[in-house]
Amino acid sequence: MTRFLGFLLLSVLLPLTACAPGSAPSASLGNGAEDAVVTQPFVTGAIPDQDPEKLQRLYGILSDYLSEELGVPVEYKPVTNYAASVTAFRVGDLDMVWFGGLTGVQARLQVPGAEAIAQRDIDAEFYSVFIANTDSGIEPFEDSAGLEALKGRSFTFGSESSTSGRLMPQHFLQDAGFDLSEFRGEVGFSQNHDATIQLVEAGTYEVGALNEIVWNQRVEAGAVDTSRVQVVWRTPPYYDYHWVINAQVTERYGDDFVERVQAALLKLDPSVPEQAEILDLFGANRFIETQNSNYSQIEAVGRQVGKIQ
Amino acid sequence: MTSAPPQTPAAASTGPVAPTAPVWTAGRVWLLVALGAIALSLIPTGLFRTDVVNGGGLPQLGRFARASLTPDLSAEFLAIAGQATVTTLFYAVCGTTLSVALGLVGGVLMSAVWWQAVFPQRRRPFGQVLRLGLAVPRAIHELIWGLFFVNIFGLDPLVAILGIAVPYGAIVAKVFADLLDETPRQPLQALLNSGVAPLPALLYTLLPQAFLDLLSYSFYRFECSIRSAAVLGIIGAGGLGYEIFLSLQSLRYEQLWTLFYALFALNGSVDVISALLRQRLDSPTRMDLNLKRQRSARAGVSSAALSGQPGTPASLGASRSPAWERRTRGAWGLGHALLTTLRERLWQALPAIALLLIVILIPVSFRWVGADYSKLWSPRTATLLGDVVRLATPIRITAADGAQLLQLSLQTLAMSVLAIALASVGGILLAFPAAYTFFLPGGLFSGTRESRMQRAIAWAGFIATRLVLLVCRAIPAPIWALVALFVFFPGILPGAIALGLHNLGILGRLKAEVIENLDQRPLLALQAQGAPAPSVFLYGVLPLTLTRFLAYSLYRWEVCMRETVIVGLVGAGGLGRLLTEQLSSFDYRGLVVSLGCFILLTFGVDAVSGAARRSLR
Repeated sequence: MTRFLGFLLLSVLLPLTACAPGSAPSASLGNGAEDAVVTQPFVTGAIPDQDPEKLQRLYGILSDYLSEELGVPVEYKPVTNYAASVTAFRVGDLDMVWFGGLTGVQARLQVPGAEAIAQRDIDAEFYSVFIANTDSGIEPFEDSAGLEALKGRSFTFGSESSTSGRLMPQHFLQDAGFDLSEFRGEVGFSQNHDATIQLVEAGTYEVGALNEIVWNQRVEAGAVDTSRVQVVWRTPPYYDYHWVINAQVTERYGDDFVERVQAALLKLDPSVPEQAEILDLFGANRFIETQNSNYSQIEAVGRQVGKIQ
Repeated sequence: MTSAPPQTPAAASTGPVAPTAPVWTAGRVWLLVALGAIALSLIPTGLFRTDVVNGGGLPQLGRFARASLTPDLSAEFLAIAGQATVTTLFYAVCGTTLSVALGLVGGVLMSAVWWQAVFPQRRRPFGQVLRLGLAVPRAIHELIWGLFFVNIFGLDPLVAILGIAVPYGAIVAKVFADLLDETPRQPLQALLNSGVAPLPALLYTLLPQAFLDLLSYSFYRFECSIRSAAVLGIIGAGGLGYEIFLSLQSLRYEQLWTLFYALFALNGSVDVISALLRQRLDSPTRMDLNLKRQRSARAGVSSAALSGQPGTPASLGASRSPAWERRTRGAWGLGHALLTTLRERLWQALPAIALLLIVILIPVSFRWVGADYSKLWSPRTATLLGDVVRLATPIRITAADGAQLLQLSLQTLAMSVLAIALASVGGILLAFPAAYTFFLPGGLFSGTRESRMQRAIAWAGFIATRLVLLVCRAIPAPIWALVALFVFFPGILPGAIALGLHNLGILGRLKAEVIENLDQRPLLALQAQGAPAPSVFLYGVLPLTLTRFLAYSLYRWEVCMRETVIVGLVGAGGLGRLLTEQLSSFDYRGLVVSLGCFILLTFGVDAVSGAARRSLR
C-alpha cells in the first residue's frame, strides 16, 4: 500500500514541479530566437464596435495592404471590449488602434506622445441616430425637444465607452434636460451597434442609440426589418472615430514611420478595387488627416459625463 | 414575483432542521435570520416599485431557446468550437497545475504543524499571518485578477493562467494547510525527535499521509478551473468563453448552442472522470474538505476501507452496497459477467490511466498555451505595475461616494442572498431525482416489482435532472446573466437569477452526492418495518441530509458573493456594474475603493456563514 502511494505521489508531483518552471525558459527562448530573425510586427487593433466577424475580415485585408505599403509585417489583434483595447494600447501591445472619439482621447491621455493621425471623411461630421421599435408608436422628430417622447420608454446604449452609442447620445439627452432615470427600468448596454439594432428590432428595448454609419450600412445590406424599427432622431454632428498611433514605433521602424503610416492610410484610393473594398468596409470614401485638438469637445463631454477622470 | 418562490420553499425546507440541531434556539435564530435576509433582499430588486420584467424580450428569449435544437454544425464552425474546447481545457490544466504548486508551498507555510516543526521551542505566528494575507487574493474573483493582469502583462495567455492560479493557489493553500494540520502527527514527531530536518520529515510523513485528500481536492479544483477558464475567455483569454461571448454579442444563437454543447461535453466528462477517480481513491465527496466535522467521521471509514481491500470494487460498494447489489443482481448472465470483468479491469487501471493523462496533458498544455513567462520578470512589467500603482493612489472617498458605495454594497449583498436562496432550494429539489440511490430500479423509493415502463420513466427522470444540473453549472454565470437580461431590466434580479442558476447546478450535484453517500441501513430498517415512502423520506432521509445541505449552501453563499462581481460586469446590478463603469473610465482610484468594498463584503459573508455553519454542528 505504502509503495503504491509513494509511487503515485512521486509520479504525480514530479511532473508538477518539473514541468511548470521547466517549460518556461524553453518557451521564452523560442520567442527570443524568432525575434532575432523576423522584424517585430506592427500590431494594429480596433475597438470591437461591430460584429467581431466583420472586423476580423476588414482588418485582415487592411493588414495585408499596410504590410505591403510599409514593408514591415502587420498584424491584427482582436480585443473583446473597448476598455481592453485602450489598456492594450497603453501597455504597448497594440501599436495603432482604430478608436472611437472617447476611447481615442482616453488612450492618448494615458500614452504620452500618442497621436491622432487619420480619420474617415465622415468622422469630422459624425452623427448618432436614435432608433425606435415601430410598435412603440414613437414618431420621428427633428428637434432635441422631441426627446420628451422617450420618457417612460425602455432604452439601450451600445458599449459603456462608445462615443456614438453612449457618450454623445447621453450628452444630448442631458443637454435637453432629460435624466436617464426617466426611462423605464435601468438603461441597458447592448455592447455593440449591431446588438442595439437587433434588440430594438425585436422589441427587447423600445428605443436605442447608435452610430449612424453602421445603421445605414445595415439598412443598405437589407439586414434590418425597417417595418419593425425606424430612425426617430438624428443628433447634431461631432468628431468621432480616428486612428491613434503610439509614437514609440519610430524607435523600431525609423523616424518617419508615423508619417509613412499616415500617408499609406490617406493614399487609399476608391478607384483601385482592392483599396475600394477596404474603404467600403470602413464605410468611408477616403481617409483624411486629423489632429489631437479636434477631439477637445469629446474630452470635455467625457469629463462632464465622468468617463474621463 | 419571480423571486417569490424561493421564499416559501426555503421556509418549508429549513423548518425541520431545528429538531435535529443540537442547540434548539440557535437553529431557530439562524432560521429567522435567513428568512429575514431573504425577505429584506427582495426590497432592493425594485420588484414592488419599478418595472423589472421586460416583456419585450420574450421573443428574443424564444429565439434563443429554439436555437438549441438547431446548433450550427457546419464543418467550419465545428473546427472553431473544437479548437476553443481544447484551448479552454489546456488553460484549465495550466491554471490548476500552477495553483496546486503554489498551494503546496503556501499550504506548508500556512500550516501550524510546519512552523511547530521548524521552531519546536517557541510559538511563531508566521502561519497565521500568511493565512490572513492570503485571504485577500482569495476574496477577489478570477476575472478581476485577469483584468488586473492585462494592465501589467498586456494581451498574453499569461493573464488567464495567472488569473486562475493566483486566487486558486490561495484557496488550495488554505485547504492544504487545514489538511496537513488535521493529519495525525505522531510519525512526523518521531522523525523530528530522531533528528531529521523538518522538510524531509514532512515530505516522508505528513505528505504521504494526506496525499489522497490533497489529490482528491486537486481534482475538484480542476473541475472548478474548467469553469473559470471559460469565464476568463469572456475578457478575451480565448477558448470557449471567448467564442460564446462573441456569438452572444452578435446574437448568433445557433453558433452559441454549438459552443454550449461543447462546454457541456467538456464539463460533463471532466466531472465524471474526476468523480470516478476520487471514488477509486476512496475519497468520495467533493467538499468534505470544507466541512471538517464530516471529514473526521469519514476518516474512520476510509481508513478501514483502505486497510481492507484497496482498489477493488468492494471499496466502491462500501457505502452503498445494498442498492448496488440489488441493481446488479437482476442483470443477465454471461454478457453481464464479461462486462463486470471489463469494468473491474478498467476500475483497477483507473489511477494508471489518469496518471498517464496527467503526465501527457501538463507539458502539452503549457506548450500549447505558450505564455511568455519572461514577462514575469521583464522590466516592462515592473514599469507598468508602477504605473498602475501611481494611477491608483492616493485614494479619496467623499461622503457622496460613501453613500453610493453603501447602497451598492447592500444591493450586492441582497443579490448574493437571493442567488443562494434560489440555488439551495432548487439544488435540494433536484438533488433527490438526481441521486441514483433513490428512484432508479433498486433504489430506496423504487417499487420491488416495477414494469419496464416504470423503469424507463425512472431512468429518464434521473438522466434529465442530471442534464439540467450539468447545463446549469456548465454555462458561466455572466452568460446566464446576459440571457436573463433579455427579459429583465438591468438590476440585481437578473444577476441573482444568473448566479442562482449557475450555483444551483453545482449545489444540486453536491447534494446528490450527499444523498448517494447516505448510510442506507437506518432507511432500509424503516422501510423493512413497513414505513411508507413519505415517512421514510421525512423521518429518515431529511434529518440525515438537511444539515449537510445547509452547510453546503452556506459555504456556497461565500462563493456567490465572490461571483456577484462577474455578473455585474455584464450589466446586472450592484457593485459589479459600478466596477464596469470605473474600468471603462480608467478610474483606478475608484476601482481600488470598490474592490475594497467587495473584499470587506466577502469577509463579512465568510464570517456570518462560518458562524451559521458552526451552529449547525
